[in-house]
Amino acid sequence: MQSTLGDSGIAEELAESQRQISIAEFFEKNKHMLGFDSGARALVTAVKEGVDNSLDACEEADIFPDIYVEIEDLGDYYRLVIEDNGPGITKDQIPKVFGKLLYGSRFHKREQNRGQQGIGISAAVLYAQLTSGKPAKITSRTKGSSEAQYFELIIDTDTNEPEISVEETASWDRPHGTRIELELEANMRARQSLHEYVEQTAVVNPHARIEFAEPSLEEPLKFERADGAELPAETEEIRPHPHGVELGTLLKMLEATDSYSVSGFLQEEFTRVGQKTADSVVDRFRDRHFGREMAWRPPQVHEDADVQAAVRGAVANKGKDATKTFAEAVAGTIADRDRVAYHQLREIVDSKAETVANDFGTTFGSTVREKATEAAWTQILGGDEKESRTDAITADLYKLVDAATSTRKDDATIQGLAERLAAKFVGSEDRRHRLTRDDLTEYVDRAADATEEYDDATFGETARENVIEEVWAVMVTVPDDPPTVSAIADDRDAASELLEAMRATDIMSPPTGCLAPITEELVLSGLKKEFDADFYAAATRDAAVHGGDPFIVEAGIAYGGELEDSSSVDVMRFANRVPLVYQRGACATTDVVKEINWRNYGLDQPGGSGIPNGPAVVMIHVASTNVPFTSESKDAVANVPEIESEIELAVREAARDLKSYLKKRRSMRKRREKQDKLATILPEMAEKLASVTGREEPDIDEALARIMNNVLVERVVEDGTATISIENNSDRNADVALTEILGAEPQNANGANVVEMDGEYYLKWSPTVSSGETARLEYSIDDDADSEIAVEGIDDEKLTIQQ
Amino acid sequence: MSADDHTNYGEGDARQRLLDLAEQFYEQFEDGDVPRLQVPTRTKTNIEYDEDSGVWVYGDRTSTRSAKTVSGAQKLLKAVYTIDFLAQQLGEDRSSTLRELYYLSESWDLAEAQFNSQDESNQLIEDLEIVSGVTREDFHMRPEESGATLMGPLLIREQTRRGEREIHCQEDVGEGGYQIPNNPDQIEFLENDADFVLAVETGGMRDRLVENGFDEEHNALIVHLKGQPARATRRITKRLHDELDLPVTVFTDGDPWSYRIYGSVAYGSIKSAHLSEYLATPQAQFVGVQPEDIVEYDLPTDPLSDSDINALESELEDPRFQTDYWREQIELQLDIEKKSEQQALASHGLDFVTETYLPERLEAMDVL
Repeated sequence: MQSTLGDSGIAEELAESQRQISIAEFFEKNKHMLGFDSGARALVTAVKEGVDNSLDACEEADIFPDIYVEIEDLGDYYRLVIEDNGPGITKDQIPKVFGKLLYGSRFHKREQNRGQQGIGISAAVLYAQLTSGKPAKITSRTKGSSEAQYFELIIDTDTNEPEISVEETASWDRPHGTRIELELEANMRARQSLHEYVEQTAVVNPHARIEFAEPSLEEPLKFERADGAELPAETEEIRPHPHGVELGTLLKMLEATDSYSVSGFLQEEFTRVGQKTADSVVDRFRDRHFGREMAWRPPQVHEDADVQAAVRGAVANKGKDATKTFAEAVAGTIADRDRVAYHQLREIVDSKAETVANDFGTTFGSTVREKATEAAWTQILGGDEKESRTDAITADLYKLVDAATSTRKDDATIQGLAERLAAKFVGSEDRRHRLTRDDLTEYVDRAADATEEYDDATFGETARENVIEEVWAVMVTVPDDPPTVSAIADDRDAASELLEAMRATDIMSPPTGCLAPITEELVLSGLKKEFDADFYAAATRDAAVHGGDPFIVEAGIAYGGELEDSSSVDVMRFANRVPLVYQRGACATTDVVKEINWRNYGLDQPGGSGIPNGPAVVMIHVASTNVPFTSESKDAVANVPEIESEIELAVREAARDLKSYLKKRRSMRKRREKQDKLATILPEMAEKLASVTGREEPDIDEALARIMNNVLVERVVEDGTATISIENNSDRNADVALTEILGAEPQNANGANVVEMDGEYYLKWSPTVSSGETARLEYSIDDDADSEIAVEGIDDEKLTIQQ
Repeated sequence: MSADDHTNYGEGDARQRLLDLAEQFYEQFEDGDVPRLQVPTRTKTNIEYDEDSGVWVYGDRTSTRSAKTVSGAQKLLKAVYTIDFLAQQLGEDRSSTLRELYYLSESWDLAEAQFNSQDESNQLIEDLEIVSGVTREDFHMRPEESGATLMGPLLIREQTRRGEREIHCQEDVGEGGYQIPNNPDQIEFLENDADFVLAVETGGMRDRLVENGFDEEHNALIVHLKGQPARATRRITKRLHDELDLPVTVFTDGDPWSYRIYGSVAYGSIKSAHLSEYLATPQAQFVGVQPEDIVEYDLPTDPLSDSDINALESELEDPRFQTDYWREQIELQLDIEKKSEQQALASHGLDFVTETYLPERLEAMDVL
């Protein structure tokens, strides 16, 4: 079962906390957040919600969206009509779709979708109802139905339930789809934003056909579907990533899960969590929930403590040999250990007890084992005497503190801290010396404070942190069973500990199949469809991750043509295929565009930063299961470094193509200018030479071709043999596709393909001519046969054909 | 094409050579080649000392004016227009000045063929001289500046448009002296009483020498250089040396620009190194003002400007000044950071230059 909250959860929580007051009041109080704070804005938001809804409905049903939006000025109110060719809705679904404010299937999904953006069509319905008093009029026809259904619907603001006031069958020309009609108080002051929204929606949804009518338009604006545009790839829903959830969400998930154990819960409900990862999260949870146990060094040879004797003394009535063997085994194992914690000691005692019991046929019951453990533990801690115990623990801690602090700390300070720290352990009520990291921090802080106060030494933050780290590292995670899921669900602190444990564990990035980028190809066709430019570029980055959410950034650039040259470049921003219309200046996308040095890419940028100037449009699309916005109104992408870096890379990738295009265009222009100039100068020179030398004008074409690094195509016919030569004077290979249309049949045209059509012969020859080389084709033909040569594969400016 | 074959060709020859050049461009077009013109690179890094003639001529490096580029094509177009003009001028036995050529180009119907500056047209004429092996005098191209003057005990015969004239350069001329014609090869030396040539940079000093009667007293031929000397001045100086066997001395200001004046008299100029053999007098000696003199005679000075220092340093690298004498003098001047004009000698009295300085210097140079 999947029951998580997206980030839209804040709105829902808000609504929940205000259940007591009427939904109308809630709406009134929060309408700025919901995008209905002014009449102008309300219209944009209503259109946006309606269109997003329609697009999603169509795509979910694998239908190419065909959407009609109409705004009509009724004098007192505006009428908004949004029609789609989606699957339609049945009466049963009506409450779901138009009902409760903030209810929407997509609120609970972790997948890339538009709905993540908005607050739902129901808010628009409510706004209409509150301002005009008119019900929402809904016409819907499901596929295959012979008739459409017509409903009038209002939302009961007391119960937050939709009430259908009129229900009848109707006839509708669409075979399937939904039409919603709202009357609302609004104005058209945000006309520009509306147009931008619709136009930009068309750009990022090249698979959709959109028609838009509003009072100032004589004819509806039509945005046709791009040729070959496909429906966006279906996105798979993914389970949340452990790094991407918040406490509230986690608590809800804990409540809703069927899992009993934490490990099962983690593996079941989260993506990228298997047994190993779950174990590692659970261990970190144990550390936070139970604390770790301090592991002490076993008594050393020179110390008085005698584990073996103590254990032997603690065991009674088990026979001399068995007792001796048992004590030796326990003591030996402990001596072999670097450090031992209480629960580890108990494990050793248990395992030796089993072995010895088997070998000697006696039973070592739990009482005996406990006694033996206590006796051994006492020895490990340095005996019964407080003094000897403090000495032993101090000696142990001294080594750790010494290792953790810089060599500049003098011995007395280290000794002082170790002593005081030891006193905390000795004074601890928990004989097992079980501490959370917070407890340990407190121990160290207090010991360090005292050392500073009484020993006149300094023990700063870093030194303390190092000591904590050193001690924590030798402490051992306890094997206690973690609380059950239901117990954690009831315990906010435990849940918080679990969340911390999840965040502290390295976990593989979430899968990216849940994202549906527009793709480079469709970004291009979207741009081409809406902008009559000379050049288009697009780039789609690979998926990346921020927090627990995967995201993909795409960028597109259109340049030249009919685009306006007079002002700064238009930056179009999209999140999950929805245009972002407001708060341009607060958006990470805008920031990134401003940071880029556009002069590098051939655009004018006064001052070297800021939005560049020129006849260009830059579009940026951020697709994610959770696009981070700067605020609840979701108009601007937040400045998340991972996302900014991907935006920059995407824009730069597209900008690089723009750069080479502009460069090529400049060199072509130069070449053309040069050619024009030489085409004036050289003939004049030839004419003058003719007059000076008293000869005929020399033929300058060949020289001209050579000068222009041209590819010179020449055809000469002599005595029934035609020779076509292609001389490549450029500095790169020329792939030439030459077609000659001949009035007579050529013979022996080896290397060329000849096709006869309606009495004409098409000779096709496609050589690759290296730089500086000449390719020749010879064939036999009548001297006076008609010939016409066309060449493809070479820019006209670089081609000279002589015939 | 090198500077070796510079002699006076008949005019028919000059015209033919220009037409040959046009023919060459024509053939290049016809062969499908890019028309081009190759000339020696005219910078100081491409001049070298010619052991045989003792002058500095162009080295092996060449620059190509090719129709490949718009500017190259324009240069060639202008060259063809200029060839056309010169051929006509020679055909009609007329002449014109460099400046006239520049203005004349304004009348050419094609804007691309017109010169943008006189430097451009001057340079083109130099190019044509080099590639055709004909001097511009033989193209009947004159510099607009009047030739400088000459004063001294010399009888010459000049071919003028109004017939032959015999002129004594001391007795038949006024204070201004004899005006050197644009083509000094039209002069014939008849009688000579001079012992040496003294070429003087500034008009003020030349007038001082004449007023003090230096030419009469020392049998000197005083040539006024008028700054950077015109070709005619250099040519007549060379002829005086070669034909009359007169030692040539050069008297200028004591600054780097004046050393270049001496350099162009003695070694040839960078711009017309193709004519060095015809214009330069390698035996010419530098009188002064030497940096050494500034110190020795305690002359009034001006500090060296930055451009003076640059010029001096550039001269240290100039192949024409690669002698011990010049390195010493230039380094001294860089050291004292001072320069003096010829007229600074007047600080010791108006007669100092004729009574003391020049006699002392010329004696030291074994001229007097």
